[in-house]
Amino acid sequence: MITIAVDGMGGDHAPQAIVEGVALLSLEGAVQILLVGDHRQLSTELARHRHEAELISIRHAPQIIPMDAKPAQALDALPKNSVSIAARLVAEGEADALVTAGNTGAAILAASREWKRLPGIRRAALAAVYPTKLRHGPKEDPFALLLDVGATVSASAEDLLRFALLGDAYARIVSSNPSPKIALLSNGTEANKGSPEIRQAHALLRHCKDINFIGNVEGLDIPIGTADVIVTDGFVGNVVLKMLEGISDVVQELASYAFHRHLTWRIGLTLLKQALNRLKDLTDWEAYGGAPVLGFDHLLIKAHGRSNPMAIRNAIKVAAKAVRGDIIGYTAQALAQLPEVVESAASDAEEDEA
Amino acid sequence: MRAKRHIFRWDLDKTYLATDFDSLGSLVKIAFEKADQKVNVPGAASLLRQLTRATEDAEWEAHVHFISGSPQQMAGVLAEKLKLDGITYHSLNLKPNLRNLTRGRFRAIKEQVGYKLPLLLKGRADYGPGEMETLFGDDAESDGFIYALYADLMAQRIDWDTVLGVFEACRVYPDTLEMAKAARDHLQFDDCVEQIFINLDRRSNPNRFAGIHERIVPIYNYWQAALVMEARGRLSAGGALAVAETMISSFGSSVARLRNSAEDLLRRRQLSVEGLALVNEALANAEPEWNHRPLVKALSRLISRPPPVDAPPPPAADEPRDYVALFHQEKAARKQAKEEVIKARRA
Repeated sequence: MITIAVDGMGGDHAPQAIVEGVALLSLEGAVQILLVGDHRQLSTELARHRHEAELISIRHAPQIIPMDAKPAQALDALPKNSVSIAARLVAEGEADALVTAGNTGAAILAASREWKRLPGIRRAALAAVYPTKLRHGPKEDPFALLLDVGATVSASAEDLLRFALLGDAYARIVSSNPSPKIALLSNGTEANKGSPEIRQAHALLRHCKDINFIGNVEGLDIPIGTADVIVTDGFVGNVVLKMLEGISDVVQELASYAFHRHLTWRIGLTLLKQALNRLKDLTDWEAYGGAPVLGFDHLLIKAHGRSNPMAIRNAIKVAAKAVRGDIIGYTAQALAQLPEVVESAASDAEEDEA
Repeated sequence: MRAKRHIFRWDLDKTYLATDFDSLGSLVKIAFEKADQKVNVPGAASLLRQLTRATEDAEWEAHVHFISGSPQQMAGVLAEKLKLDGITYHSLNLKPNLRNLTRGRFRAIKEQVGYKLPLLLKGRADYGPGEMETLFGDDAESDGFIYALYADLMAQRIDWDTVLGVFEACRVYPDTLEMAKAARDHLQFDDCVEQIFINLDRRSNPNRFAGIHERIVPIYNYWQAALVMEARGRLSAGGALAVAETMISSFGSSVARLRNSAEDLLRRRQLSVEGLALVNEALANAEPEWNHRPLVKALSRLISRPPPVDAPPPPAADEPRDYVALFHQEKAARKQAKEEVIKARRA
């Protein structure tokens, strides 16, 4: 049975929401969980919820990384923190993947200190799952993947190629999409648009036989969902992600404003309530649970800091699904074609020049 | 000199048999099931067989009694099932539901306290002081409450008026009351209940039972019961390993699950680290016919890095429990647990 290490102390609502999510999932009986954190707090919290004791083990970690702490400083000052110990348990083979809702930077840094990067990977990529207008894959998944969203601020063309391979593997295994559409984010759909790195990455991706590269997409394609996986560098990805979150917050505030402003608007919104709730269900970030950090020899799922129990449950399920699909093995295999792709692209470029 | 007897009293549904009576469909299915179609709660039959086998070299003789809310019409099929499982027992008490129905005693069909407590008292008349009992029930019915009431009454921690108060709260029929009184008159009171195991079929919060009685051990599986009983000297290491083997080979359990179950007992202070270490030493020295080394190794690792468990709370003041209030609390808790199970199934 797959075992997932869960950082019991990370997140705005930890440990309550984390433990409740773990308890909920344990009753489904499909995943073993190593809950890592302050033993006293975790066991007290666990005793409050119906759970399957056979599937939960608590490992003591006395220190907590605050959500707003500077990652490197915090990890150095608090060596017995829950996320580092959880990552170590994964490295030692006691668990297959790690889920945390805690400090993102600290989680990635802890993983990079405890785990190895996959061959060919220079920097890990943080992917974000976001809702789109179009559905994706045979299961009509309402979410698409955007990577990197902050782990690597500036990315070379080869980094972008690697991100594409990582995203492709994740979409195939977790979204059960046999041929995900991969695109590069640029300022135009033409191959010659974008920064030198984007143009080079475009050329490299065209030589990748095993992925369904559909070319460049623009910003407007992000919410539409033209591609199943959009590749960009961490700087742009982070700006895009924060903008999407900001728009969502503004729309909610506008709806609230309208509701309180005029009776007719209130009636209108009330009539739309069912449809709006359905829309919320379709695009609810709690449903997908967490975002993957890809490129290590183990999987890290970063759940939203505000995760509630259901989001934690779903994040663990996503991690288990990815492990079951051998995402690491698949990714390593995909990355093995990298030198060949680079060589083939270089020889084409030479021919073009000639 | 005759060996002392140890009495094991078992409920059947959801304690020994994995019965689902939460829907009408499942109730109909139960009624038509044959003996060989009935499924055990993982490890229950194995534990019971081992407990009775332990008597061959123990200083006590095991007496097994079943008290179940299943209708008397099922006596044949249940007896056959127990025979198939190789269980020898001294009595099989089933509920006269058809008689209750024809006499219009509808409350008695569902009500358990007025059914089981008089039977426990009546059954105790066959035993004398110093003959200890281990009771097995589940969280779906009021077994924990009934067994606690019985334990405290036998130990004279509560008086008969308390029992009458509970009977009044349950609205038992007058003849039930008379039967209980008659049974009481033949008893030699003694602190005879050693342990009460409650199988958490509904995965109820184990804390629910903490306030009922200190001798209740809520269990997630019978491996946990085996560990606790081995630590108490009621079960041999070989017996505990037989339960583990059955759970792994017949019910899909694993070394990790059994290890986590032991960790849960430590966490809930139902077993001390020292106790588990002694148990594991005996397990290591046993020579079962299966490879039990991975299990011993996993438990050794748990013992070497035990969870930091708080010191046990100071013993509760020796004040009689308010059983009428407990009865109502338990009823509400059972209802909530059932609703949670139904909600989870729907989700």
